[in-house]
Amino acid sequence: MTETESWANVNLRQVGRPLARSDAPGKAAGRTRYAGDYTMPNMLHAKVLRSPEASARLRRIDVSKARALPGVACVLTAADLPDRKASTDIPGQTGKKKLATDQQVLVKERVRYHGEPLALVAAETQTIAERAAELIDFELEPLPGVYDPFEAMKPGAPIVTAPDNVVGQHKVRKGDIAKGFAEADEIIENTFRTQFIEHAFLEPEVGLAWVDENDVINIRVATQVIEHFRPIAEAVGVPHNKVRILGALVGGGFGGKEDVTVEIYLALLAQATGRPVRLAYTREDSMFGHGKRHPFVITHRTGFTNDGRITAVKVTITADSGAYVFLSPYVLLYATVAAPGPYRVDNVHVDAVAAATNNMFTSAFRGFGAAQACVAHEAQMDEAAKALGIDRMELRRRNFLRTGDKLVTGHPIESAVWSDECMIKAWEALGERTPDAGPVKVGRGVATYQQSYGRITWLHDTSEAWVGVEVDGSVVVRSGVTDIGAGQVSALGQIAAELLGVGLDDVTIYNSDSAVTPLAGTTTATRGLYMTGNAVRLAAEAIRGRFLARAAREFGVEPGEVDLAESKAFLVDRPDTSMAFKDLVALCASEGVHRSELVMFRAPFTGQIDPETGQGRVHPDYAYGAHAVEVAVDTETGEVTVLKSVGAHDVGQAINPDAVAGQIEGGAAMGQGYALSEELCYEEGRLTTPSFSEYLIPTAMDVPRYQSIILESRSGLGPFGAKGIGEPALTPVAPAIANAVADAIGVRVFDLPITPEKIVMALRRAEAAE
Amino acid sequence: MRETETTTLEINGRTREIAAPPNQTLLETLREHGYFEVKSGCEKGDCGACAVLVDGEAVDSCLTLTGTLEGRAITTVAGLKRGEELHPLQAAFVKFGSIQCGYCTPGLIMAAQSLLNETPEPSDEDIRLALSGNLCRCTGYTKVFDAVQEAARVLREEESAS
Amino acid sequence: MFAEFDLVMPSGLDEALDILAEAGGDGGLDVLPLAGGTNLVVDLRARRVSADKLVGLGRIAALRGIERSNGRVAIGAGTTLSDILRDPGMAEAAPSLVESARVFAGQMVRNTATVAGNVCCGSPAADTVPPLLSLDAELTLTGRDGSRVVPLADFFLGYQKDQRRPDELVTKIAWDAPKPNSANLFYKLARRKGDAITVVGIAVTVAAEAGKCTTARIALGAVAPVVKRAREAEAMLEGEALTPELIEVAARQAVEESSPIDDVRASADYRRHSVHALTRRLLTQAWDPATVGG
Repeated sequence: MTETESWANVNLRQVGRPLARSDAPGKAAGRTRYAGDYTMPNMLHAKVLRSPEASARLRRIDVSKARALPGVACVLTAADLPDRKASTDIPGQTGKKKLATDQQVLVKERVRYHGEPLALVAAETQTIAERAAELIDFELEPLPGVYDPFEAMKPGAPIVTAPDNVVGQHKVRKGDIAKGFAEADEIIENTFRTQFIEHAFLEPEVGLAWVDENDVINIRVATQVIEHFRPIAEAVGVPHNKVRILGALVGGGFGGKEDVTVEIYLALLAQATGRPVRLAYTREDSMFGHGKRHPFVITHRTGFTNDGRITAVKVTITADSGAYVFLSPYVLLYATVAAPGPYRVDNVHVDAVAAATNNMFTSAFRGFGAAQACVAHEAQMDEAAKALGIDRMELRRRNFLRTGDKLVTGHPIESAVWSDECMIKAWEALGERTPDAGPVKVGRGVATYQQSYGRITWLHDTSEAWVGVEVDGSVVVRSGVTDIGAGQVSALGQIAAELLGVGLDDVTIYNSDSAVTPLAGTTTATRGLYMTGNAVRLAAEAIRGRFLARAAREFGVEPGEVDLAESKAFLVDRPDTSMAFKDLVALCASEGVHRSELVMFRAPFTGQIDPETGQGRVHPDYAYGAHAVEVAVDTETGEVTVLKSVGAHDVGQAINPDAVAGQIEGGAAMGQGYALSEELCYEEGRLTTPSFSEYLIPTAMDVPRYQSIILESRSGLGPFGAKGIGEPALTPVAPAIANAVADAIGVRVFDLPITPEKIVMALRRAEAAE
Repeated sequence: MRETETTTLEINGRTREIAAPPNQTLLETLREHGYFEVKSGCEKGDCGACAVLVDGEAVDSCLTLTGTLEGRAITTVAGLKRGEELHPLQAAFVKFGSIQCGYCTPGLIMAAQSLLNETPEPSDEDIRLALSGNLCRCTGYTKVFDAVQEAARVLREEESAS
Repeated sequence: MFAEFDLVMPSGLDEALDILAEAGGDGGLDVLPLAGGTNLVVDLRARRVSADKLVGLGRIAALRGIERSNGRVAIGAGTTLSDILRDPGMAEAAPSLVESARVFAGQMVRNTATVAGNVCCGSPAADTVPPLLSLDAELTLTGRDGSRVVPLADFFLGYQKDQRRPDELVTKIAWDAPKPNSANLFYKLARRKGDAITVVGIAVTVAAEAGKCTTARIALGAVAPVVKRAREAEAMLEGEALTPELIEVAARQAVEESSPIDDVRASADYRRHSVHALTRRLLTQAWDPATVGG
């Protein structure tokens, strides 16, 4: 169920309509080819051999038996590779490596995490590749490891990342924290723990690489970022223009396909063999093959006056970065900026640190640090409301940011802040309260958030797009953007169709090929629509302007009097005076009017924030909204049933309301798993939950019918005032569920996931305390 | 390597002689023969992405040995299409925005078809039970429930019209 | 990487038994029966199990089908979980088994997996076993030399050890349908509602006459090396009216008869807690006058 609230009245014909997405029919019919569905003649199959230990020294590795196996084309170990590193390319657009993110491609000597690749095999069949991997003889000497970020920062801890395991640190010093707490009538302090979680996209990492006649390494791969061709080229030792990444429609990303996964292995094997090579991860490989969501320990100390005004917030965040750096410093920064929540706080003190351990490495995950921060700040608001005797929503309302208020970084928020409107809508949609039934207690919770959209402003983010109109009036959009399932590509078609007055079916979109589509940046950070949507808008507007001018000349009027719609150019005041769009295009073509445009859209560019105070600008803008839930908790078994779950978000402008609702519903399910059932367990760094029978994402039996409410302030920086919804949809869900469970049972579980067992134990402790 | 055996299968209405080793699963067989619409998500029956119909009943093709299927009829999501027209389930998935990344979609549609073969008028609870073996990470299932209900209605109307 | 094996698909039971009989002994072939395969294929892929030959049972018509006569219910070894759900009489003939089939894995697995296969896989978390134990089910084991009937309660010898000889097949599972004035219930506790491995599974049967419990069965899943009955708790109930106090005592006794472990799904402590809570809950529901006719 979707409800849309629109505050402005703009004459949009394509944008804002729930059109069937352009990618949907192919997917429904089974015609869509994903990266794993491509094969080539003479293709080899690859396998990665992984370390069974989390912390060890590789004493010896002997691949002679594997190489001797008939059908094996190539076995590579670190000894076969030149001494090059893989690194995390930040930002993709400039190729500047801002952080010490170097890592070995294959283990040379030191194993730092369970699953770290030791060797690569390519063979005539998958079975032979797997058998060859098993024939590799190696000896690992276990070394002392460190599996907890607090332990990792103690003197004498085993060093995973030199010099001191600290891989990221951020501070905020705003206002006077001592004065703020002195003014407080009530101080609430709690510590929250979040867990490692897995993206659990249904399509495991997969790719196919070949070297062409120009010595270009072509890699068709399931990725969120085709611009990884740069670090890939550097890791294999060729110029940037000798690696081409071809995307495909991606079977889910959520941040898990944001870093390089199979690409470097494929490039090395294709280079070494001169043959096409396919590498498809198994589900277990996938559990080892990409970074997880960071577990956080967050201590939140919040001061309130008796009338519910926040006087000060002091937050300490410790994140487990795992064995390699990847995007940890940035995830930590997002958490730092989001730490106090969508509230106006004048006195803020944040200390955030990410430490390396011998656990699985952690990196991007939908919500990117802000999701963990939300778990803490929203629980704090409910705990404070209880302590102060103020209604939970009223307490939030008294503290919400308003447009023009300064964020934690001192930068003012310029767009609409509709937190209260969203919260009210979400709560009202819960409807009548379900009654308790014996031991089954019903509770409700709400959570609000602040989530950035667009990348960090000092990364100088840009996106390019090309729009062209063929002589017959059909439209082409070219953009490097990857579509990871949210309808990124279809939205671009809708924007071009809107501005050129044609239907979505009249637009063909070519995307995600680093050689031929203009580079659009990453499909991450809720930036796809904001950045590439704007690039397509600008390109289409340029063509539209030329077409309107030509049509105006034909009609003998000013361009402002002409409009394009329904594949016609017509007079705004006299729609009967019109000409077919294809005739106008043919006219333009014959006269050499330029029918295409290549545009670069630039986000705001800034320098870095002050490292000592955290003051400055971090993001282009922020999205606000709320999620409300009703849960039933069986107090005897601890089982939780989510009865109702409603997301209400100000998306600025929905390009496709069905696609927005899909994000909200999917975020509701993912957040439910984060709150209740999902956890990657590591014992001394070893993964004990390597499959979907241990790692439990919600099934169709676990979910209510989710409700989505779309609010449109048209105040965002995206096309037509859009903000973004990819990450915001997820961020408030888990804290809303945590608050609802606490409401139901009267005690709080401070550690995610809130399993039946933790609920039972919390109730038992509460009973013992009474 | 064990002896390769020949198994006769009817795949999407076409009879094919399939040579496969005894340890080959139907998932491997189908993809090897170009039925790429059958997706591999876990290869242990946890996710349902590989679901196909065997004689009208949905099974996980990753758990089914090809050699056990002599003479059986296999339907993949591509085999549901009616000429150029989408099958009502496929059309409803498109119409209701029930598809995002689409990787789980072939399996979901086959599981739903298996349900509707037996239960033409399913409740929401029937749909939840029938789809609980199909993991979807994008949609939260809500629009999937809508699409299955809509397709059931269309199929019932077709049934009563014929 | 998949284990390698030969696969034969006999169309008759005798043929299948002949092949199985070739197996065993020193230097003999390692032959395994393949029913639905939803466990075995996964184990073969992970090479937790190896075999020289699999005998597929899917073509043996004699193993399919559900029979009912004189209150006795018998299901063939080929009966799938979906067959149990489809059978209109099963809701009366085995309410707990129907409930376990409903929450068993996902549809595709239910369409393939057999009840007999679930019993023979030997998992303490096998969902159909507590219901079948609560129904006093008996297994028919058939070899080339004939058949024998073994109560399910005696079938399991230890963790993944049972009474079936390698040359035998479970060909039938039979039980008496619950009498009037009785209740037969199952509850599966897991970390999520759909398609999850059981943390604690409990089935109970309570039959009553003149306000007294005449038969009590409490079967505990996933809390011991094998699915087992809480016989001492059952004995406390028989011949008595099930007062809340007695139910509480019996539920505590059921905990004493469990021996759970810690694993990735739950701690032993939580499992013991849940055995108590669920046994109490199911016995209370079973004793409801509307169910047992009090």
